[in-house]
Amino acid sequence: MGRYSVKQLALWAVLAALALGLSTLDGMLPLSALLPLPGVKLGLANIVTLFALYVSGAPAALAILAVRCVLGAVFAGNASALLFSLLGGFCAMGAMILARRFGGLSVFGVSLCGAAAHNVGQIAAAMIVLGDTAVVGYLPFLLLLSLVTGSLTGLIVSRLLRAAVYLPLS
Amino acid sequence: MRRFWALVLPCLLLLLPGCGAAAPEELTLFAMDTYMSFTAYGGGAKDALEEAAQRVNALEQLFSRTREDSDVSRLNREGGASLHPETAELLALSLSCAEATGGAFDVTVAPLVSLWNVTGDTPRVPSREEIDALLPLVGAAHLHLDGTSASLDEGCAVDLGGIAKGYASDQVAAIFAARGIRSGAVSLGGNVYVCGTRPDGTPWRVAVQDPQGEGYACILSLQDTFAVTSGAYQRNFTAPDGTVYHHILDPVTGAPAQSDLLSVTVLGASGSVADAYSTALFVMGQRQAEAFWRAQGGFSLVLITADGRVRCTPDLSEQLTLSEDTSYVLEIISP
Amino acid sequence: MSLKSSPPECRPNRRDALAALVIAAAALVIALSFYYDNAPAGSASVQVSVSVGGRVEDFSSLSRYAGVHTYSCNGYTLTVSCDGAEVQVVSSTCPGQDCVHTGAVSKAGQSIVCLPARIVIRLTGGAADLTVG
Repeated sequence: MGRYSVKQLALWAVLAALALGLSTLDGMLPLSALLPLPGVKLGLANIVTLFALYVSGAPAALAILAVRCVLGAVFAGNASALLFSLLGGFCAMGAMILARRFGGLSVFGVSLCGAAAHNVGQIAAAMIVLGDTAVVGYLPFLLLLSLVTGSLTGLIVSRLLRAAVYLPLS
Repeated sequence: MRRFWALVLPCLLLLLPGCGAAAPEELTLFAMDTYMSFTAYGGGAKDALEEAAQRVNALEQLFSRTREDSDVSRLNREGGASLHPETAELLALSLSCAEATGGAFDVTVAPLVSLWNVTGDTPRVPSREEIDALLPLVGAAHLHLDGTSASLDEGCAVDLGGIAKGYASDQVAAIFAARGIRSGAVSLGGNVYVCGTRPDGTPWRVAVQDPQGEGYACILSLQDTFAVTSGAYQRNFTAPDGTVYHHILDPVTGAPAQSDLLSVTVLGASGSVADAYSTALFVMGQRQAEAFWRAQGGFSLVLITADGRVRCTPDLSEQLTLSEDTSYVLEIISP
Repeated sequence: MSLKSSPPECRPNRRDALAALVIAAAALVIALSFYYDNAPAGSASVQVSVSVGGRVEDFSSLSRYAGVHTYSCNGYTLTVSCDGAEVQVVSSTCPGQDCVHTGAVSKAGQSIVCLPARIVIRLTGGAADLTVG
């Protein structure tokens, strides 16, 4: 365990717990009133993924994401929820890592890319579950929604990052 | 800015599967005595269509009976000829189809085709004697093929009209495959080949002509398939006494086939075989055609019977929908 | 550890706006390509296809589909009714009832999805792409 300090591990554990909480909260939102696809989420937990990416780097953010998805599925108790959160989460993660490295974007732009990719991943999951491409019809709506959630996530994380300067992490 | 596009372009590719290929390339031409249309989507579509059109024209030069200098004309005129490898390949394929169908499809029916001349300018009803005189000339045994050289017995001739368009569609499919076309549709005078799916990922919708009217009898959802229809309605003439004679000759009677079918549509992985089989199965009639399908397999079938039924093979039951404007009844052929 | 050597840019910039534009454009293009092609074409008939667990179970024209149909998959059962012009899920044993709330669909391009039961009812339509024969 020499590579990681106790402080780091503690921070990651707290972030994972926070992500899990946010993703559970996300599941309670009545999104299905707008969109008849249970399992599709706004992606509030992306706040944590994005924050971890900037503060602790990609490997730690990926680890937190994986813990969140697996535990979330265990708590929800079904496999298709795991597929939705895994595909959504990892698409978002991948897009944000790439956007941050190559895009010359601020945290807002990175967040937007992540939110859009999150929804693409979820639609891909729904396509796999249904074995049908009809759900692609929901993608335009979700993408427009992702502009809102992405901006919101970006705003929250930019504030968090200013505060994080004071995190006693070194 | 280059970095930005390095990000955005992959995103676009991820987000827009299939949308980059929105505009179709289209090409039409008149060849093999029929109207042909080609459609393809995606990169390289234009080149693929041009190559396909050249290919079809080149094949017509080989297979035509009306061109003096074609391989088929030379063989028929001289009784023996050294052929282009493709002509030899198609003749070999014709012989194997003749064998498989028990002679219901036969390219050596050519002397009778000329006699009736249904598709020509001066069709007429020949006398029984005239037909009987030519019948001994019909039969696959009269055509001898050795590599790329072929010979015919005295007085015999071949007509590739029942398989040439199917062969051409096979060649077009090969060109599409070599050029990486993933979405395309081709109609060579009713001989259809659909490549991949429509650009939006849904199957191609292929209508089967209603043999008794202007509209269609049913629609099939198809991908990566050849579809060929043979029917009495396609080409025919009316004799002075009012009898209608069509172009599909029964090699046994030497006259237009007396079929209880209005049309036969064969779907399969080979355009040539689908073309030959659709003719043969029309000649056979419903019972024998269905028995042939059970015995042979490897293709799908839509039969439209004279008493108003659309009978399809079980694999098509989920892909076929009847037209609302007609009164056909759908039945599934028992396997 | 601490923050990465290059402090994160916390202010929105022009490229962010471009990213947002690209996403919006993508939404528009997908919407157009998905719905435009399926626009009902005059009197051409509309077809219903019902896929259950990834397999197409029913495929017929809307008018011939008229009647009540039930489909079961994944432990849930849906009751679908069609009057020849509209299709709707009238009842379902699935937990969310989203498929029932979707209501009636009647135009090519519309669909009803029941994710728990893995059932998709899709209306396709318009004329055929080409004719054989």
